[in-house]
Amino acid sequence: MKVHWMKKISMLASVGIATAMVLSGCAGGTGASSSESGTSANTSIRIGLTPSPANLNFEQTAGQAIPQALMYNVYESLVKLNENGKTIQPLLAKSWKISNDGLTYTFNLRSGVKFSNGDPFNASTVKFNLERLNQWKANTPANLSAIDHVDAVSNTEAKVVLKEPDRNTLFWLTSVLGAMVDPNEVNNMDTQAIGTGPFTVSDYKVGSQMDLKRNDSYWGTKPALRTAQLKYYSDTTSSSNALLSGDIDAIYNFQGYDQIDQFKNDNYTINTGNAQGDTMLVMNPSKGPFSNIKLRQAVMYAVDKDRILKTVINGYGTVLSAPVIPSDPWYKNLSSTYKHDTAKAKQLVQQSGVKDLTVNFTVPTRPYAQSIAQIVKTELDAIGFKVNLTEQEFPAVWIQNTMTNKNYDMTAMWHVEARNVTNYGNANYYWNYNNAKVNSDFAAAKKAGSDTDFNSSMLDAVTQIQQDAPADWLYNTNLITITKKGITGFSKNDVGIAMDLTGVKG
Amino acid sequence: MMFRNVINRIAVFIVTLVASSIIVFLLLSALPGDAASTSLGTDASAAALVAKRHELGLDQPLPIRYWVWATNILQGNMGISAISGVNIATDVFNGLQVTLILVITAMIIALIIAFGFGILAARFQDRAFGFIISVLSQVGIAIPSFLAGLILVIVFAVQLRILPATGWVAPDDPGGFASHLILPAFSLGLVQGAIMSRYVRSAMLEVIGDDFMRTARSKGLSRNGALRRHGIRNALVPIMNVAGIEMASMLIGAVVVERVFEIRGLGSLLISSVENRDLPEVQSIVMVLVVLVLVVNLIVDLLSAVIDPRIRGAR
Repeated sequence: MKVHWMKKISMLASVGIATAMVLSGCAGGTGASSSESGTSANTSIRIGLTPSPANLNFEQTAGQAIPQALMYNVYESLVKLNENGKTIQPLLAKSWKISNDGLTYTFNLRSGVKFSNGDPFNASTVKFNLERLNQWKANTPANLSAIDHVDAVSNTEAKVVLKEPDRNTLFWLTSVLGAMVDPNEVNNMDTQAIGTGPFTVSDYKVGSQMDLKRNDSYWGTKPALRTAQLKYYSDTTSSSNALLSGDIDAIYNFQGYDQIDQFKNDNYTINTGNAQGDTMLVMNPSKGPFSNIKLRQAVMYAVDKDRILKTVINGYGTVLSAPVIPSDPWYKNLSSTYKHDTAKAKQLVQQSGVKDLTVNFTVPTRPYAQSIAQIVKTELDAIGFKVNLTEQEFPAVWIQNTMTNKNYDMTAMWHVEARNVTNYGNANYYWNYNNAKVNSDFAAAKKAGSDTDFNSSMLDAVTQIQQDAPADWLYNTNLITITKKGITGFSKNDVGIAMDLTGVKG
Repeated sequence: MMFRNVINRIAVFIVTLVASSIIVFLLLSALPGDAASTSLGTDASAAALVAKRHELGLDQPLPIRYWVWATNILQGNMGISAISGVNIATDVFNGLQVTLILVITAMIIALIIAFGFGILAARFQDRAFGFIISVLSQVGIAIPSFLAGLILVIVFAVQLRILPATGWVAPDDPGGFASHLILPAFSLGLVQGAIMSRYVRSAMLEVIGDDFMRTARSKGLSRNGALRRHGIRNALVPIMNVAGIEMASMLIGAVVVERVFEIRGLGSLLISSVENRDLPEVQSIVMVLVVLVLVVNLIVDLLSAVIDPRIRGAR
């Protein structure tokens, strides 16, 4: 009995040691081969990304992660937004015509296009998709609510008829809202993605990895990549370690701004462009201290945005002054209105006549928001506010308490949705903002007969919103894409719609 | 006698299981935030929210939701994830495989370290060598496993580039599997090994001073021989109890290590489901973890009785 137990222990130990030896032996071999694969990977690429899609169904699930992976790669829309964020190009529609009254969009579709499962794409597919937008629960189908119905005139001609003119329509048709889904597959969209695009999803492990494979029956120019592996990382340190150790070949939209320097050498290329989005300090104009406009304006003067940009994202971005980012077609630099001026901020606080200057600042548990909160708190303390900082777990708690219940005086949020300035026209949105002039500017923009008129009405709205100061718009981040040397073709700018892999070469 | 004890232990196991399932369910239901609004995001309409809540069953009373969940889970049906739309049982089973491989490998590493260092530290307790080993294990205890993980990644993946920094490969590719397993298993195992080596050391020291050891030596056995023949076995019971507890804490440690290495095990699955308020998935994962911990405890209790006949009657 005694010997028996001793034997067991020594056996266990030797098995353990043997395992360890085998493990370290094997490890050396694979490690060496994986570091070589980077240079020879001319038809495959492994890309590190940070927010992972919870599923593949953008009709039911919000957020940028699903369209980022699937739009233009797997799903295609009638029209496509150029990487400058302004030009609209043909995709599934070869050409289009807008009627003079702005009510009818006639799309001339490509013929012979098939979904990756062999189902045909034609004008009835367009009708099916654009007429069921009212069943979407996420991703703001209201952006295309102007669409009344679609007439499938022939296989290759679809007339999209609007209830009222809306100059935004073409833009939203380039986005995920315009994605053409196989009508036979709409019930499987959580776990399957069947589109007309140059890639198909060959495997998706929720939260960790999506494998894209070239669609060999694609109607258009075949992409250079045979496969693309999208690997999802929960934080930027993991993704940069993965790139440094050769686990991946590129990181798209890298947000580890303090870690960029380690890639500044001959082995990597760092691409810098504009990302979508607006990091903002939202002030609740409907209750609490910020129902007083003077106090909101005081914040505008008190907060030093250059300092925030430098501290929070290491300077990799553009300071904003209004709800408009450089890639918006109506962009204008409006920074002369509220220049950083602590004395002026104090003066406005005095003029407001408000005695109790307590602010409930609810901050989502995200690193950027926490850094911003510390700086803002110091600056508001200096002009006489008493700031109560509360951290709220993001997304769940923040979404419920701050966004859904609108129970906040101030919050910091990074909004990544493209052109979400129109939410200032929605009084029910958590921004709690309502101004008749802004609403009529937005309405005028929709009815505009030309892009110039459209852009000028949008700018009017933006200027008015800035005057009212329902938020302090802090910065727009850069799009940082880091690749191993020799990988090219990622879009310079993120236009908020897709990570377009069609031009990427390994 | 033995048989009745086993039955008793299993009965306790079942009662604990039911109680913990109720506690888990209630605690998770009390969390702020719901899956519907988390999933629909910042632009959801009120009508869409109501519809989604109904679809997910979030508008049902609590006891009904518990009953539905508990009866389903007993039949192996964990439901469909509210967020990802995948079958939870498959998801959890895949995660469980990964986590078990990771934890068991880490445990083997930990035991080798614990016995190696613990016995040496006890054997050489009055010498400089023993002191050095004690200091080393103290350092090991002080380092949290995620930090150990990060250090290992920087040395072996980023600097030496001989092991991958992140990810997991299934065992059907043995080379890839081993290379992806080694760093996370070591970051879990090193720390636990350091912790357990202290227990091994003190258990050994206690045994060395016992009468039967003196008897063994007086019969002519060498010091090492006496340790081998009598010492280790007698020290084994308390050490195994500690190992059982450490196994449970390794499961918790795996949550963090899986995150550092971006491994899709139960731990990282748990974190992302909590973030998304995917309650059916969180509940299933937590229950699986609870079952694992209870099973480990059960096994330790039963094994202790096998190793040490004195315990059989006592329990």
